[in-house]
Amino acid sequence: MRAARRGSARKVVVMAAIASLGAGLLAGCADDGNDEDSSSSGDSSGKTTITLGLFGTMGFKEAGLYDEYEKLNPDINIEENVTERNENYYPALVNHLTTNSGLQDVQAIEVGNIAEVVATQADKFEDMSKAEGVKKDNWLDWKWQQATTKDGATIGLGTDIGPMAICYRKDLFEKAGLPTDREEVSKLWAGDWNKFIETGEKYKKGAGKDTYFMDSPGGLINAILSSEDEKFYDSSGKVIYKTNPAVKDAFDLTAEAAEKGLVQSQTQFQPAWDQTISNSLFATVACPPWMLGTIKAKSQPDSAGKWDVAQAPKAGNWGGTFLGVPKGGKHVKEAQKLVTWLTAPEQQAKLFSKMGSFPSAPAAYKLPQVTGGKNDMTGDAPIGELFAKAAEQIPTQVIGPKDQIVQQGLTDNGVILVTQGKSAKDAWENAVKTIDNNLEK
Amino acid sequence: MTTRHDTAASPVKGGAAPGRPPGDRASAEADRKRRAKLSRRWQRDMRWSPYAFVSPFFLLFLAFGLFPLIYTGWASLHTVELTAPTDMKWTGLDNYTRIFDDEFFWNAAKNTLWIGIISTVPQLLMAMGLAHILNYKLRASTFYRVVMLAPYATSIAAASLVFVLLFGRDYGMINWVLDLVGLDKIDWQNGSWASKFAVSTIVIWRWTGYNALIYLAAMQAIPQDLYESAALDGASRWRQFIHVTLPSLRPTILFTVVVSTIGASQVFGEPLLFDANKGASGGSQHQFQTLGLYLYEQGWVNQHLGRASAIAWAMFLILIVIGILNAVISRRLRASS
Amino acid sequence: MTTTMTKPPADAAPEPPRRGRRRSKAARAGGTLHAGPIAYIILALFTIGSLFPLVWTAIAASRDNQRLAQTPPPFWFGGNLFDKLEIAWNDANLGEAFLNTTIVAGISAFTIVFLSTIAGFAFAKLRFRGRNALMLIVIGTMMVPPQLSIIPLYMMVAKLDWSDQLQAVILPSLVNAFGVFFMRQYLLQALPDEIIEAARVDGASSWRVVWHVVFPAARPAMAVLGMLMFVQSWNDFLWPFLVLTQNGSPTVQVALAGLGRGYTPDQSLIMAGALLGTLPLLLVFAIFGKQIVGGIMQGAVKG
Repeated sequence: MRAARRGSARKVVVMAAIASLGAGLLAGCADDGNDEDSSSSGDSSGKTTITLGLFGTMGFKEAGLYDEYEKLNPDINIEENVTERNENYYPALVNHLTTNSGLQDVQAIEVGNIAEVVATQADKFEDMSKAEGVKKDNWLDWKWQQATTKDGATIGLGTDIGPMAICYRKDLFEKAGLPTDREEVSKLWAGDWNKFIETGEKYKKGAGKDTYFMDSPGGLINAILSSEDEKFYDSSGKVIYKTNPAVKDAFDLTAEAAEKGLVQSQTQFQPAWDQTISNSLFATVACPPWMLGTIKAKSQPDSAGKWDVAQAPKAGNWGGTFLGVPKGGKHVKEAQKLVTWLTAPEQQAKLFSKMGSFPSAPAAYKLPQVTGGKNDMTGDAPIGELFAKAAEQIPTQVIGPKDQIVQQGLTDNGVILVTQGKSAKDAWENAVKTIDNNLEK
Repeated sequence: MTTRHDTAASPVKGGAAPGRPPGDRASAEADRKRRAKLSRRWQRDMRWSPYAFVSPFFLLFLAFGLFPLIYTGWASLHTVELTAPTDMKWTGLDNYTRIFDDEFFWNAAKNTLWIGIISTVPQLLMAMGLAHILNYKLRASTFYRVVMLAPYATSIAAASLVFVLLFGRDYGMINWVLDLVGLDKIDWQNGSWASKFAVSTIVIWRWTGYNALIYLAAMQAIPQDLYESAALDGASRWRQFIHVTLPSLRPTILFTVVVSTIGASQVFGEPLLFDANKGASGGSQHQFQTLGLYLYEQGWVNQHLGRASAIAWAMFLILIVIGILNAVISRRLRASS
Repeated sequence: MTTTMTKPPADAAPEPPRRGRRRSKAARAGGTLHAGPIAYIILALFTIGSLFPLVWTAIAASRDNQRLAQTPPPFWFGGNLFDKLEIAWNDANLGEAFLNTTIVAGISAFTIVFLSTIAGFAFAKLRFRGRNALMLIVIGTMMVPPQLSIIPLYMMVAKLDWSDQLQAVILPSLVNAFGVFFMRQYLLQALPDEIIEAARVDGASSWRVVWHVVFPAARPAMAVLGMLMFVQSWNDFLWPFLVLTQNGSPTVQVALAGLGRGYTPDQSLIMAGALLGTLPLLLVFAIFGKQIVGGIMQGAVKG
């Protein structure tokens, strides 16, 4: 028994040791955290570390902009914290904003969320219009307005936009007996989405069953809606998607295209959709500059140079991001300076030439990085000029906080069903039911 | 439900000192004192140590579990959005009463039930069979134990990528195989039953080995002599399994059934990942949206904290009703037999 | 550190359970329960089913996107695997993440196993007032859907100012009803009352019963629970992602969330990252798998 007792005493000692080890590790980690906190407010070399919270699409680091800024400002060190998917990034950002905790010095906001952030979190952000060196005129007016509250505070500066064109396969158009020159192709459907569908029918007659005219119903309805002045909300902030004829028309036109077999039964960005790019199964896709990057990444090498860029029936915007500085960050002044620099026309132009993110600053459109822009997939096409032309025609669209939910409903619970054999009416009802339920507080 | 299998130890009653043989008879008086002291200590120990043993769980629960519970309960009585979680507007039981008319909730409840049945039943049966085999003397048994947990070790994100590709309609390997043997391709994401079946497959894949390991651990604790005497009586392996293994495993089987039922009611990662780019609607027609996913959609995607909280509590209440029904029925059954 | 608890102390030889284990192991080794060929066939099928998706992840990681779009799908590795693994390792800064996750998962798993075993023992084998009610509360806490609780939990953590600190991930994870319930059910079956009574008769206090009777008897279950909790903690995403950043002290899943950035995420790179995140776990299983040794109790029952 004595031996056993000694054993148990020893076990207690072992336990205590383990427990203290655990506690020590915990404390150690906590210390680490503090160390990093202190290093970010100025480590031994006296540098200030600015952190950026970004999601997938940015590419400042890859374009070498941080290195350049650190060279210009030797006392600054830049770190980024990137989440691939905005679906993960955004809810976390909202949580961080509402609790004023865990915020980075700079936070990116996607255009799909900007209206909601402006409406509900504006008081958590610095007014960038008051920051040193920020000139409102540098940006496209609608881009600036999207991040501005009714009281005139601008919570984020625009980085890129997504002026939309139509990318098309020259080889497939030729086989189908359609013109291949971008001017002529643009003329086929200029000013009218109905003509775009008519072209699709001609394509189908000429090309047969092996390929589709367009990549997906979601891509089509999104393109049509992007070119409207009002879609889901009116300027007073009321949800009008059900009664807005433009929305119903877009839905019906897309449903018609689906019924006629002009669009694939695919959802964009799913692996199966990627595979149809690889196998060259469709001839057109609604195409902001960044879409060329997607096409390039998913295509077989022999597709290079076979694409070209035509103007869309009506210009619209798809995608884009803002950079805001939360008041809860640790280095507000330095962060504002960095954001101002990153979003200046020169840097936006560099970002376009390296990453394909199209500038939201019109001054950048005259810079050589934009005017000389090219892409492997489109060969010699002067894509910088082509997209700049689209960018200047983008309407000032009314956006609303829940645009994404409405759009998702119309697409994934709506038009996709028509490609699976449902009637347009049933698909609309299914979409409306889903959207209304999702909007209801 | 939980008291049925209690075979609690009957500790020495009446506070008598344990029947320890007196070590020396030199000083009976000192011994008596020592015993009295021991006895007091003994009593204190018997009385309070159970509470000491369970207290860490409850203290941690008080610290980190209770506030979220109270908050969601309170939020469920309000209109409150994720964008302002402290800005609540009182609505009483509105969030609950609307559930009765919420066809999406009941659709999700139905899906949850079906996916729960299709996935849990085969999963537990297969796990039991596997554990039985792994309980034999085997070559490379560690290898199989590692293999068994490999799917569980795969993160949701990793599993999503693979299964979405495997179940792909046009280029997926499963449809390729179906095509190869002359069957029609199946639209795994859009078919009502096909999608439930596919989601259940992911659940089964991830959790079978997990349950098998739990069964295996319990099987290893069955005394060998029970098998030996059964073998002496001429019982076949199958009869040994039925008459020795299964009865011994009753507490563990109960455990896996309860945990799997709760788990099935909360299934959310697998259906979410099965259609990762479509948000959390569980398919174009919500054909594989489970309650857990619906809750996630309302709370995280649509940001309706109040509604989502009410859904969570409704799920909780449904589970409790099921638990009570289960207890009543099993009591009736026992009474009648 | 998780293995420490399973190492028997050097001088504990005279303890009955341990003696029992040794004998029973010998008995098992000489037992008749050898697996037949059918068992091996079933195991082989099961192995293929379990591993195929993982192996295919590796295959996909070793191919480019274009190849994945073709039928028939690829069945064997392409040449890129090691390149992709290396890129993923460096991009996500996985070295540091592995260390953090090991700390988080190790401390969580160890503490959960320890606390669950003593609580499970009390619920299974000790009598006290309120036992059944308390047990119902334990089970009740399992029914709370975790996706929602993390929002108020985050409000708490924000108040405590624990952003980017590992205890924000560890401490909430310790509330684990599953473990308590698991240990209770296991001990109901695996721990005969006679042994506890025998120890009591020897004058053992409750703590000594836990050390000398419960822990040895619970060893296989503790190993299983430890493995399950380690994995769960390792793969947890939603909560660590909310609390930790990649620049602070990320866990593996948080670090991997940044992989494949860009409008055109590189599918095979993401898969390579997923593979890297899983492999260390398989290694841990290999170590723990050995701990699930059988037949601890029967010798002790015999005498």
